[in-house]
Amino acid sequence: MIENSFNRRDFLKVLGWGGTAVALSGCGNTSIENGQETVVSYSEPTDFMIPSIGVYFNSTCAQCDAGCNIEGRVREGRVLKLEGNPASSINRGKLCGLGQAGVQAHYNPDRLREPLLRNGDKGETVTWEKALTLINEKLNGVKGEEIAFLTGGVSGHVKVLLNNYLDALGSKNHYAYEAVSPSVVRAANKKAYGVEMPRLHLDKAKVIVSFGADFLGAWISPVHFSQQYAQFRKGNRPEGRGVLVQIESKMTLTGANADRWIPIRPGTEGILAMGIINALGGGIPADVAAAAKDYTSDRVSEHTGVPAAQIIKLAELLKANSPSLVLAGSAAEGYVHGSQNAAAIALLNQVLGNVGRTVDATINLQDTRLTPSTGTRAALQAFNDNMAQGKFKVLFSFGTNPVYTAPAALKVQENLKKVPFKVAFAHYLDETALEADLVLPLDSALEDWGTSVPEYLVDPYLSIQQPLMENLNPETRGVGDILLSLLKQRLAEPYKPYDDFYSFLRSAMVLNKAALGGTGTDDDTFWNDTLGNARIRLPATVANLSPRAAASALNLPAPAREVAAYPLRLIPSVSASMRDGRHANLSWLQESPDPLTTVVWDSWVEIHPKTAAKLGIVEGDIVEVTSSNGSVKSQAYLFPGIHPDAISMPLGYGHEAMGRYAKDTGVNVFKILDPAFDKDTGELAINETNVRVNKIGKRVVIVKEEGPNGGSQLGRKKIAVKVSSTKVDLSKEV
Amino acid sequence: MSVSNLLENWSKFRHTHPVEDKGHPDWEAYPSEIKWAMAIDLDACTGCNACSVACYAENNLPVVGKEKYSHGQAMHWMRIERYWDEDNREFPDQGAQFLPMLCQQCEAAPCETVCPVGATNHTEDGLNSQIYNRCIGSRYCSANCPYKVRYFNWYDYPTTENVWPAPMEQQLNPDLTVRGKGVMEKCTFCKQRTYTARNNAKTEGRKIHDGDVQTACQQACPTNAISFGNLFDPESRVAKQWEQQKVELTKEEQEKDVKPGNELRGYRIFEELRPYPSVMYLERVRESDV
Repeated sequence: MIENSFNRRDFLKVLGWGGTAVALSGCGNTSIENGQETVVSYSEPTDFMIPSIGVYFNSTCAQCDAGCNIEGRVREGRVLKLEGNPASSINRGKLCGLGQAGVQAHYNPDRLREPLLRNGDKGETVTWEKALTLINEKLNGVKGEEIAFLTGGVSGHVKVLLNNYLDALGSKNHYAYEAVSPSVVRAANKKAYGVEMPRLHLDKAKVIVSFGADFLGAWISPVHFSQQYAQFRKGNRPEGRGVLVQIESKMTLTGANADRWIPIRPGTEGILAMGIINALGGGIPADVAAAAKDYTSDRVSEHTGVPAAQIIKLAELLKANSPSLVLAGSAAEGYVHGSQNAAAIALLNQVLGNVGRTVDATINLQDTRLTPSTGTRAALQAFNDNMAQGKFKVLFSFGTNPVYTAPAALKVQENLKKVPFKVAFAHYLDETALEADLVLPLDSALEDWGTSVPEYLVDPYLSIQQPLMENLNPETRGVGDILLSLLKQRLAEPYKPYDDFYSFLRSAMVLNKAALGGTGTDDDTFWNDTLGNARIRLPATVANLSPRAAASALNLPAPAREVAAYPLRLIPSVSASMRDGRHANLSWLQESPDPLTTVVWDSWVEIHPKTAAKLGIVEGDIVEVTSSNGSVKSQAYLFPGIHPDAISMPLGYGHEAMGRYAKDTGVNVFKILDPAFDKDTGELAINETNVRVNKIGKRVVIVKEEGPNGGSQLGRKKIAVKVSSTKVDLSKEV
Repeated sequence: MSVSNLLENWSKFRHTHPVEDKGHPDWEAYPSEIKWAMAIDLDACTGCNACSVACYAENNLPVVGKEKYSHGQAMHWMRIERYWDEDNREFPDQGAQFLPMLCQQCEAAPCETVCPVGATNHTEDGLNSQIYNRCIGSRYCSANCPYKVRYFNWYDYPTTENVWPAPMEQQLNPDLTVRGKGVMEKCTFCKQRTYTARNNAKTEGRKIHDGDVQTACQQACPTNAISFGNLFDPESRVAKQWEQQKVELTKEEQEKDVKPGNELRGYRIFEELRPYPSVMYLERVRESDV
């Protein structure tokens, strides 16, 4: 099958395999390429699909980057409900609310249905043929470096095609941007352990001390970590019931589940970590001890606001309970010195001897072409700078919405106007798609083919996404299909065998079946098994951690002085369902109360009752939150789980477009963030915005789940009951 | 009526299908091998809301929007209540208390006795059921429910309220109805799932096994906080949990309440009202000395 002008290595590259992972299966074309088999959708009814009986098909959840394996219940050709795939090592049959709402993303009434071409202020419907021809024309005569791709995190075969297309265009401008991503922790892990995403064993730890890592909410792989957490809490495991301490300025869902929640002055997380190291006393490496020398409990207490006795108690708790696990999350990393905070916290893990026990070796796929291009906020900055200088003539974007998520100070919307031709692949007409010249409507995740590799790898598996039903709209297409069509415009020959992304994917998998454990099975059986499981083991190695303590290089500034004009610190919160706002048009999520405030269908401003009393604010007062970069107005909610020097507002609300449920629901907090960046990684320092809060003289009744008595049980002793761990015997519970 | 009469335990007369109340005529007529029950571990529950969203997906619950929500018209059969410790501390430094609240499927359900048309009654497998096409919308049941888990259709959600704009109606689960205006609805312990499981077991000529059926909330729960099954099957996880916590369905006072230092953490909410709920909660455990 290898054509004369096209050698074997290029051929493998086309299909996304490289290096040692490939063991080519014998020879010959696949049956699809020979035309012996017609490609039919997997959702085509077959004899085992009986009317009124639901049949489950496996696929992969695309709602966040955790890549949970799912099974969709299909009845009469429609997908009705999603469940977790019990065979998955990531989510083991479980699925979060965000994942459940995947069906709403699919059946959403505001999805784009046909390609739209800009004509003045309007989008006019065009055919795909015309749209693709137009792209081809616009690319003619444009140099590679003048073409850019702005995407969210991508992995799997879409990433392969994307990279192949960039190669074909001679462009190196792929910017993977995620507004909410663990990128500082990633970089800090790389420095501390030699890998970006070590595997964590929450279930093996006796004590977890988390500096704002919301692992039960929105952090990295929440369903997986929730399951580990459930094990951690079991009294019948050898380590006994684990103890969770959460340290953060604004209570997250994880903080709400802690045995001890410790409010800390914003930005001083690293100082506290050093204070704990200091309080550990002897038995720590000399250089670390030297670095921690000045962090006496009294000084640390003064800086962090955490009582000295608490710091000593924490150190004792950690010393007495090994292994423990110390985590750094977005609450600790969103500062100008965020990397330093994360490094100090990682250092604490090393000193406690957790590395290799609860912080474990990571899995490296032999073939890196499928591994994710993880999104960062630094990428947006680079992209935006180049765009402002007018370097790009053609821009493609998908999976990210910078017009909505970038701080107003970056002027992304304005800079986009400097790009003469912008193509957006989009599910909805969101803020970024509205700026585009050509909008191409995408298949939903339940209609599209794809593969993905999650950033946090539990096991070396490639997750496969397959259509669970026929396209709802005949004119939408998958990202893979669009990229393939575009590639064919540039490089017709190598991609000729592949009619569509499905046949590309099938060929890629079948061709490499020997390396994927399919030796001895025929192509059809192998492919059907692969789709049946919707996950397949990839060749991988385990990369051991190489801990390197760099205690001397730490630079942790004392807490910033109060700025008179902006006396409060704004801590934007990332909720498990809203994330960066891409799911705001799912009505189940809008109506699902925020777990802590129980507010629905709107933004809110969390203020500590003490601070509110000082400012004369009561619940429901509409307040104006002003930073040096703008202001937003929202309802005040008096919230005890926040540091009195800080206020918090949720991200993800306040869309100007994107559909009926998202538009004008709440306010967009991204807009007022200061453009401050982490010094080491260039990440947007999300917690560095100082604000002031003013009443505007209007009051509303907050729409929320909790009753008029707030969180009070009105003296009832047996509604939600808490018991001290000393009073129960958990060791024998079923 | 004298005061002593009033304070009498009248619950035995309220049973429409009292479990193990062998003398009751209903029991003679329909002896049952199944009593559906649940156990919810508040120590495992993180308050993430996955159960609630799964319930919307499974049971065709309408999304009512901000205004109707503010009128208390949300239709969440499964909701998470959030409480704070009331010890007047400056910060909630032991976190929040989350409580998944759903119909407790009471054995002596206060809602059943007040229905003027018998729309709310008891099934032989121990569920408190709502017969939609018999319901006239008096809302007496909701008024009498101590848990406030009955939800009334104030509007015609599918038509005039357009809660499922096309093509969203295609997601609706055809195994159960979309309720019309003027009808009360509530958690059914995923009746459509238990019904299918029982039919399958019957077809295969066997009894229901533990694990044959999961409710939607149980299936979604990332921390396995919810267990559900047949309380009459001693091998079921839920029966083992009830047994271990010494919670008995037909008692209103358990060993935990009467015996000090018992190290038990299973309890039922509002047991003192004698509705005999089928949902047992396990107390949230907190380490106080850290």
